[in-house]
Amino acid sequence: MPTAFPLPSDLSPATVTNTASLLRIVALALISGAAIASRLFAVINFESIIHEFDPWFNYRATRVLAAKGFYEFWNWFDPTAWYPLGRVVGGTVYPGLMATSGVIYNFLHALNLPVDIRNICVMLAPGFSALTAWATYMFTKEMKDESAGLLAAAFIGIVPGYISRSVAGSYDNEAIAIFLLMFTFYCWIKALKLGSALFGTLAAVFYFYMVAAWGGYVFITNMIPLHGLVLILMGRFTSRLYVAYSSWYVIGTLSSMQVPFVGFQPVSTSEHMAALGVFGLLQIVAFVQLVRSHVSSKQFQDLLFVVLVTAGLVGFAAFIGLTYKGAIAPWTGRFYSLWDTGYAKKHIPIIASVSEHQPTAWPSFFMDLQFLIFLFPAGVILCFHQLRDEHVFVIIYAVMASYFAGVMVRLMLTLTPVVCVASAVAFSTLLDTYVDAAEPDDAEAPADSATPSESGAAAKKTKKAAAATPSSSGSALSDLVAAAVPNKKKGIYGLDTRFAIIVNAIGMLAFFVFHCTWATSSAYSSPSVVLASQNPDGSQHIIDDFREAYYWLRQNTPETAVVMSWWDYGYQIAGMADRPTLVDNNTWNNTHIATVGKAMSSSEEVAYPILRKHDVDYVLVIFGGLLGYSGDDINKFLWMVRIAQGVWPEEIQEPNYFTPQGEYRVDEHASPAMKNSLMYKMSYYRFSELFGGGPSTDRVRNQQIPKVGPTLDYLDEAYTTDNWIVRIYQVRSEDLLGRDLKSANAFAQGKKRKRSKPMSRRRPIV
Amino acid sequence: MHLLPLLALFSLPLARAASDDAAHQKLVALAAASGGLIKLDAATYDLLTTPNRDWSASIQFTALDSRRRCSPCKEFDPSWSAVAKAWSKAPAVHRDTHFFATLDFDDAQTVFQKLGLQSAPVVHIHPATEGPRATGKTGVSKYDFSQGFDAEPLAQALSNHTPIRIPYSPPFDWARWTTAGAGLLTFAVLLRFIAPILQSRWTWAISTILVSLVMNSGYMFTRIRNSPWMGGDGSWIAGGFQNQFGQEVQVIAIVYGTLGFAFTMLIMVIPYQATAHRQRFQIYLWSTIIMLVYSILIVLFKLKNRGYPFRLLL
Repeated sequence: MPTAFPLPSDLSPATVTNTASLLRIVALALISGAAIASRLFAVINFESIIHEFDPWFNYRATRVLAAKGFYEFWNWFDPTAWYPLGRVVGGTVYPGLMATSGVIYNFLHALNLPVDIRNICVMLAPGFSALTAWATYMFTKEMKDESAGLLAAAFIGIVPGYISRSVAGSYDNEAIAIFLLMFTFYCWIKALKLGSALFGTLAAVFYFYMVAAWGGYVFITNMIPLHGLVLILMGRFTSRLYVAYSSWYVIGTLSSMQVPFVGFQPVSTSEHMAALGVFGLLQIVAFVQLVRSHVSSKQFQDLLFVVLVTAGLVGFAAFIGLTYKGAIAPWTGRFYSLWDTGYAKKHIPIIASVSEHQPTAWPSFFMDLQFLIFLFPAGVILCFHQLRDEHVFVIIYAVMASYFAGVMVRLMLTLTPVVCVASAVAFSTLLDTYVDAAEPDDAEAPADSATPSESGAAAKKTKKAAAATPSSSGSALSDLVAAAVPNKKKGIYGLDTRFAIIVNAIGMLAFFVFHCTWATSSAYSSPSVVLASQNPDGSQHIIDDFREAYYWLRQNTPETAVVMSWWDYGYQIAGMADRPTLVDNNTWNNTHIATVGKAMSSSEEVAYPILRKHDVDYVLVIFGGLLGYSGDDINKFLWMVRIAQGVWPEEIQEPNYFTPQGEYRVDEHASPAMKNSLMYKMSYYRFSELFGGGPSTDRVRNQQIPKVGPTLDYLDEAYTTDNWIVRIYQVRSEDLLGRDLKSANAFAQGKKRKRSKPMSRRRPIV
Repeated sequence: MHLLPLLALFSLPLARAASDDAAHQKLVALAAASGGLIKLDAATYDLLTTPNRDWSASIQFTALDSRRRCSPCKEFDPSWSAVAKAWSKAPAVHRDTHFFATLDFDDAQTVFQKLGLQSAPVVHIHPATEGPRATGKTGVSKYDFSQGFDAEPLAQALSNHTPIRIPYSPPFDWARWTTAGAGLLTFAVLLRFIAPILQSRWTWAISTILVSLVMNSGYMFTRIRNSPWMGGDGSWIAGGFQNQFGQEVQVIAIVYGTLGFAFTMLIMVIPYQATAHRQRFQIYLWSTIIMLVYSILIVLFKLKNRGYPFRLLL
């Protein structure tokens, strides 16, 4: 057999196998190390701190769990959230994340390792990313082979699309959910391949863990049935499919109903009906197969077919009827807005207002996946080329996840694994083909032997086509046809060609590593609780206004003081300041949020009774105008207006906050509604004093704020942080003499009360 | 001598009531004459919006004349007429307490000037100031076009101002259902002939690849945000990381597609080449294509993300 370069021939196959498996273990260990290490930028650049918003709630809940035990956590009613309603936390969370940390915490303490619960929370996501890499390795191994698995593990270990949600400190459900997603899929593929009830049960167990951990479990609930359905439609029904699906569905559904937050949803909502429907269909198909194997009469089989089709149609009609009657709940808004993309903006502005629910522009795809995004189609083509049952799964996953990732930035997370898997399949096939030393015979050179080359997994395909004679003439089209029908010898001639491709490939991988490191360090490792800027000399300057304000609240206000802010900051206030809040990031009560929106967007006189009715003591606003921090409340203000308008369309109207020319302005041309709103007043109160008479510029909006700033009658400025990012106002109590606060203020300042009309001496007749 | 003015003074409320009633009768007649939608001019506008009225009114300010080149007006007018027509079907007791009216710019420019209206279409809603339906509010409220020019949200919003819900239901979309039915029928008839195509895996492969390429190029972004095809100044690539034009979808999809195709060639076609020199030529060709197109992609990405520190050949 001709080879392009000499191969050692004195190695026993056992040595090769052993070395390969040792290398695989070493490679996996290194990949895990890289996955963990690349997520530590935030800890190194800042400190071991919980990031962003939702993680603060998870952290707080985990602390409760670690301190008081699981049953206490299960029955936890939090009276400080959603004041005065309170929140039943145990029944409204996915407890998987907290339970995981709690188990790790107790385990380490049982070993007498006194680790702080915060550090467990911070490091949980990097730790699980190593497990994700391993699960992806196992999954991809089922698609192609171990080398593709290693590539896929390396890809998912460092790809920014996954890092963005799993850096150290990003203690959110997604941190463990992607591992569970991949491992459930792996168990499913394995169960399907082997027809094993054991793996089906394992898939169900991990599915249960996933249900307990993340609302995105619905993705699995619909992916597996879809895979089963497509296999049936392709005429690939087997008893292996029947065993795998039935064991997964029955055990998975029953166990998922044990999560209190999910409850009876798996049998009563439309999201879960596909799984139930495919389960029923499988029973019918299996029954038909059984009867067909026992009954010979053709007529009876036809009759049976008709009866079964009718049964299927009746079942479908019953489903429609039950939905119509209300027994089966229709799709929830969040899920429905994935299909009807205009739905959320019209009907549920809270969902539409979240930045991670925005649609994805193409730069995000490239930023998060880099060269994988264009290897991905090549990998999907390879899946079509082989099209075993498990490849069908990857294909369906690719289509669904591409669509979802396009609709919502956040769902990029579900696209990332399949992109890694498909591109790893493509890339490893490329490497297999071009590293393989076997060289086919040149058709132009006189051939003396016709032994086909077969070594390595890539050459397996050519086995059956060994006898075919290569045609020396042909166009590119016939080449393509030849590729689709593998009846030709396969191999690469020469060393230079191999060298070119390999160097190219290594260059691409290296570029990918540089890109991932850059993206992780520059874009995805900011805790957003602590901001960083650069001093003129290039050194890092930490802006710590949020914690400054929250600790001020913690130290200087009574423990029962109610703090009102926009819902984004609810979890942080509860977590860091430990004070009751009106609304928080668990946006379950639209009216309550709209109430806060109304208070923020109305004038002081209107807002004051609302504040008093809700016992609000402090109001907290985020203001970025001094520093140029663009994520502040004035930029979010229109969403507050919109959400309030949804509930009180008569009182709050969005157009009133624009200038007649339709511009959103905060300078002296701002609309009266804007200038009188509580939000505007609290943001710009005393702002112009800061500039000592010079022009006072808002550095986010780049507009000049009028020199005579707004005045406040019903609120007192309580605290403003170093860089003015957080401003806290205290709500005044009612005037002791029963005057309204405005005239009381005017009186205190020595202003005479102006009469609106000169008193007339004579009363009018009639 | 003093008696006469006094008498007049006493009779004023009565007279006013009488004139109100007359005005109301006139408006009802006007509305009935034109199918529920009053076509206003300056005089009838004043009549309709008289300060003491026991009826409410919603008025569309528009400019339908083709000289005015107001395409939104033309877009909105059918919805307005449909909702007005739906209201004319309401029970007469309620119907006659709320009027729908249209004021065209060319019929009453003075009204536009008086109200300071710069653009059209605008919808004003005047609440009742007297009688049982007075709410104490006299100010005009405007309809918010943030939900587009469709009739359904309009009917829903206006229902807040009418005594009963506007009985509007969207017309049955014959064209759509006919098309769908015809499509299904054609499909069923052609099924025998296209079955081999449908059963070919490569048909499905091509459609899968196309779907994922288009989705990964930000197609849904342009759909949801209604991005323009290209910029107003003729630029085809939008500045900013979280923004893109319609044209970018195609460019990026073609770039991704080319790169993916090049890799597919390298993996699936080139190894089967029969002769060494042809294979070598193709390997170098496709490698060059990959490097070049990848470099172009990086250049495009740098346009969107100015801070991107890497570059390839270009």
